[in-house]
Amino acid sequence: MSLIEIRGLRYRYAGADDDALHDLDLTVSEGEFVAVVGANGSGKSTLARLLGGLARPAGAARAAVCGHDLCDHEGHFAVRRDVGVLFQNPDNQLVGSTVEEDLAFGLENLALPSPEIARRVDEMLALYGLEALRTREPHLLSGGQRQRTALAGVLAVPRRVLVLDEPTAMLDPAGRDEVLAAVRREADHGLTVVFVTQEMDEVLMADRVVALASGRAVFDGAPAALFAERALLLSLSLGLPPAAEVGLALMERGVLAELTLTLDDLVAALQAGRP
Amino acid sequence: MSGDAANGHAAGGGGPAGEGLEGQHALGVRCEGLSFWYDEGATRIAALRGVDLTLAPGASVALLGPTGSGKSTLLQLLRGLLAPDEGRVLIDGLAAGEDGYEERERRIGLVFQMPEMQLFAATCRDDVAFGPRQLGWSAAEVDDAVTSALAAVGLPADRFGARHPYSLSGGEQRRLALAGVLAMRPGLLLLDEPFVSLDPASRRDLEAILRGLRATGMGLVLATHDVDRAYGLCDARVVLDEGVVVDAGPWRFGAGGEDALLSHRLKLPFVVELWRRLGRAAAEAPPELAAAAEALA
Repeated sequence: MSLIEIRGLRYRYAGADDDALHDLDLTVSEGEFVAVVGANGSGKSTLARLLGGLARPAGAARAAVCGHDLCDHEGHFAVRRDVGVLFQNPDNQLVGSTVEEDLAFGLENLALPSPEIARRVDEMLALYGLEALRTREPHLLSGGQRQRTALAGVLAVPRRVLVLDEPTAMLDPAGRDEVLAAVRREADHGLTVVFVTQEMDEVLMADRVVALASGRAVFDGAPAALFAERALLLSLSLGLPPAAEVGLALMERGVLAELTLTLDDLVAALQAGRP
Repeated sequence: MSGDAANGHAAGGGGPAGEGLEGQHALGVRCEGLSFWYDEGATRIAALRGVDLTLAPGASVALLGPTGSGKSTLLQLLRGLLAPDEGRVLIDGLAAGEDGYEERERRIGLVFQMPEMQLFAATCRDDVAFGPRQLGWSAAEVDDAVTSALAAVGLPADRFGARHPYSLSGGEQRRLALAGVLAMRPGLLLLDEPFVSLDPASRRDLEAILRGLRATGMGLVLATHDVDRAYGLCDARVVLDEGVVVDAGPWRFGAGGEDALLSHRLKLPFVVELWRRLGRAAAEAPPELAAAAEALA
């Protein structure tokens, strides 16, 4: 079943000369993990905002997300209940004065009974390894802890789709690993994920990658297929994960037969090639 | 704990990126016992505690550390935007208040995180000219500085000078903001997470520009979580954690050098990790991916 079914989506910012999204198509099935890549200004963040109901499209032939019509006034509000969005900077979306208050915020807005809110908050604190931090002020936590708190807050309300907009850009390497592990776990439990990123190695987490250029989807396929298209990558201002960059250079020198995408693949290929 | 971060990088032939910017007097900076606290209502939070650090003229140094470790605070203290609660910054051996200190402090350029948020003028040329004009330079001097700076970041004045900053791509805007700092002819350039949120092509462009600046002999301090680029661009690293310098000096791997990164929420550069996994001496891992492929082929 498709949770996201979009045809010919258009969006233009007030006062802009061009569409930020122009005739964009995107289909995402339930349980899929889809990465979205593209140059700065290609429309990735705009797409994330529209999917989350944070702005309304200028128009579309079809714009159905979790059964809501994004173009419809009620629909673009209603979709916010089903789609959670996590942005780059957790400080812009943490609202509670403590971690547990932050996790409770979305649930309180749904007017759930207090015992149920408390139960759900406890569950999320445990799942996200935040129990020891529950009474701490979010702004005094590390970047990774803040972003995990923000993610737990987004998902405390049961969601059908998680949209991530460069969620690791501000984090140190350990914080980045923590957040990616949490996203991975949610995806493994069946949550549908749309992950906007500039990090090519994060693309490898996805089942599928969609590349945008000038507000259109110009590639839709497996990560390995995108990284095999050298000319396309360059024309889209993209690049290769480091293991693929070294792997490609070694392929060109005849050392490797196939492109390696991860460090593990590269090490294995080099060791297999040894006499 | 103190550290001597790096000897100067040998000034090579300036690539196109550094053209017109050569010959700037590179500044040597020394921090002595720097401490700084932020006031959080009733409590004071230590951002830096007793930082001793030497940056030799022309050195390129990576400033690494977890989020909240004090990197941005240190950059602002070096630039004089914050005053230390304890300790002092010496520039070319001069302390604040001494003759020539202010002139030198002005020549420490700081590129903030997401600096394109601060672009404000109606044309690229005017935006870059803002800083030099504040310095009271003559119109001809300003003009010359702006033209060189725009060229240095790959936005030549004849093509980009009259354009509106908002008509540029995200990567171009970041480079324009860098030009605004370069136009003031810095002898030391501080960069706070310069690669964040750029697409891969824009990161490659910016990396090439920084490499070119380094080759002119300009000192660089690169505060970043991007350990791979830090390893490629910098001769040395300073690791901060909870406001304390926990390691400083040239990159060293093997013989426990990895711990300085791994035990502080950082990771090893990709090439170093690859070398370790292949059973090669990590200390010999080349700083760039292309050189790594060369060595493996």
